[in-house]
Amino acid sequence: MDPQDQHRLDLAVTRRLRELPDLPAPETLVPSVMASICARAVVPWYRRSWPAWPVALQGASLVLMLALFGGLCYGGWKLSQTESLSLAMRPLGEWFSAAGLIWRTLAVLGDALFLSVKQLNPAVLIAFIAVSFFSYTACIGLGTAFFRHARWQENHL
Amino acid sequence: MTDAQQFETFMRNYQNMVFSTSMRLLANHAEAEDVAQEVFLKAYERWDQLRDSPTVGGWLKTVATNLSLNHLSRYRARWSFFSELFSGDNEDREQENNFIAPQDESGADSRHEEVELALQQLPPAQRVPLILYHFDGLAYEEIAEKLKISMGKVKTDIFRGRETLRKKLRLTLE
Repeated sequence: MDPQDQHRLDLAVTRRLRELPDLPAPETLVPSVMASICARAVVPWYRRSWPAWPVALQGASLVLMLALFGGLCYGGWKLSQTESLSLAMRPLGEWFSAAGLIWRTLAVLGDALFLSVKQLNPAVLIAFIAVSFFSYTACIGLGTAFFRHARWQENHL
Repeated sequence: MTDAQQFETFMRNYQNMVFSTSMRLLANHAEAEDVAQEVFLKAYERWDQLRDSPTVGGWLKTVATNLSLNHLSRYRARWSFFSELFSGDNEDREQENNFIAPQDESGADSRHEEVELALQQLPPAQRVPLILYHFDGLAYEEIAEKLKISMGKVKTDIFRGRETLRKKLRLTLE
């Protein structure tokens, strides 16, 4: 089809589509929207999303949150200046040192695994990768086939 | 007239347009009704601004289009991998279509019915860009941006969709 015919087909399709009347909405649409609106109206303000709260409550909650944030920042700053904080932080430091030990053990194990893989014959490695790849593709293929079979049964039984 | 009554009248005036927009994009009656409901609930949240707005029709159409596209990408993406592996899936889609033709005084308008049916039988990859192009008058670039696909794919899909429509509707080039 040449570009001129393409253009004519474009115009013809546009004309046919734009002359279509609106489809009738289902009878249930308006009642279901009105029911949702009524259900929303009886929900108390504190169970609605923040933008739907009354403006006064929005303002009050904003002031309260800012005051809380400011208080926390001030409290944190004051606490950092006291000596008792370092005493309070000691158990936390111990916990981190234990976590560090676990991390070092895992790193040693990882290194050992890497070294043992490096010692392997390249042919074995390639075979392992190939088997993994074929297993993966077989899973996808079988999954797709079963999915199609299930849908076919659903449509034809 | 109370606020609720005014909103109900407003909905009755625009419900067919909103439902048609969703139905043509989604080609599924139940999903289109869900989207139309969501559109009107959004409109109710902005009722104070919308009630006297002269552009309310355009706002409703844009929201219906965007929510339908969101719906398509959110709920149907999981099926696309499987469905696109098999060309025979079109048969399933044709069975899923549940088109209800508009009735006029003289009975069903068979020509319109034929076009609606042909549209709904198109696969979504062709139907959606075709509708955005021919109904909404969007440019290829805008469609590519909305659907997050390349402009080449938009052109190919619209071309294929148009060809399918031409064959199904036996459109003649004047």
